[in-house]
Amino acid sequence: MSSSWVLPAVSERERLLRATAELWRRDGYEGLSEAAICECAGVGQESFERMFANVEEAAGAVIEVPLGAVVEVVGQQYSADRSEAESYARAIAGILELMAANPDYAYVVYIAGRQMAPPEVHRGYESGHRFLVAMLERLWGSSSAAEQPARAGLGALGAAEALVRREIAGGRFERLPELAPECVFAATVPFLGQREALRLAKSVAT
Amino acid sequence: MIETERRDKLLRAMLDELALAGYEEASVERAQAAAGVSEAEFGVEFADKDACLFAAYDHLTDQVVARASLHCGHDKPWPERIRDGLEALLEELASEPRLAWALTRSFPGIRPAAYQRYVELLGRFIPFMREGREYSEVDEELPGEVELLAVGAAEAIIFGEVDAGRAERLPQMLPEILFSVLVPFMGPDRAADEMRSAAASI
Repeated sequence: MSSSWVLPAVSERERLLRATAELWRRDGYEGLSEAAICECAGVGQESFERMFANVEEAAGAVIEVPLGAVVEVVGQQYSADRSEAESYARAIAGILELMAANPDYAYVVYIAGRQMAPPEVHRGYESGHRFLVAMLERLWGSSSAAEQPARAGLGALGAAEALVRREIAGGRFERLPELAPECVFAATVPFLGQREALRLAKSVAT
Repeated sequence: MIETERRDKLLRAMLDELALAGYEEASVERAQAAAGVSEAEFGVEFADKDACLFAAYDHLTDQVVARASLHCGHDKPWPERIRDGLEALLEELASEPRLAWALTRSFPGIRPAAYQRYVELLGRFIPFMREGREYSEVDEELPGEVELLAVGAAEAIIFGEVDAGRAERLPQMLPEILFSVLVPFMGPDRAADEMRSAAASI
């Protein structure tokens, strides 16, 4: 059997995606090139070209990796035995654990995809963002507020993300799980009020 | 040494270049021509394009923070001062969409070191928020980072509008942005009262 049939322990695609994320975090989008990605991944350019039309397509695929993982975390924390808000609180804590364990992808999804991406790739970031805003706005169903201000979900998510982005920009990835109580408070207070948001925040304190 | 007026023009022209052409295509030569600054004068003051861009961003953020703080005096209750400061900020961004784009979108996107400047800009609004803790409706202590949460809420909505090319609409969004800033400190009902009051004054 030819040695080329032996499957690598980690697929070439995964190595290319990880290398793209690593370089994107280190050098920004302008620093990405097919040659640099391939060298960092230890993969030949012909493999890159088989999987991606260009760097932009690879960057778009990189964004999809953490977004897919986030959707999975949210789904895992959903339970009929918990209120929707409690499920979200646990999902937020889970997302922060996920990001702490994957610094390059965390940088890409929170900072690079938002600020350092061409329009097509940026749209991938936006769709993930819209998913999370819509998730939070479902909490209006549990709210006693007389009014539902427009963009309250965007503001709530933005509040939590500002804190997360500050730590990521500072390279303090290991601190992300500690932010769970503050992020839960931020994400729920417009809908559930201060008292309930503080209770939920305490429920995820480590 | 370039005198203040031409230096300001140069910095402004560099940010315009960045917003219009993007980082790679932003032209120092065009900015110099727009400001009437020679290559030799530029070379005395700035090592390269990056040094000029970073100086331009610092200059712009100083102006933005100063103008917002000018409207956050101490003669009114805290929620009204926040409203006034926010209103000034939104009007400034709306009147200069290109600068709003450079401030929030293109400069922070240059590379990680530039993004760090944006994080620092957000941090400069934190002191304006501290008094909000006195307006809490619960006895328990609010989260230690509640000030940054409030700043981040406003930033997310402003960023969304600038990113969508609707910076000129920002002043109309004052009420809902104000709600998102006040709600961590005051809870949804009182924040909504302030939102309605702001809507009535537009």
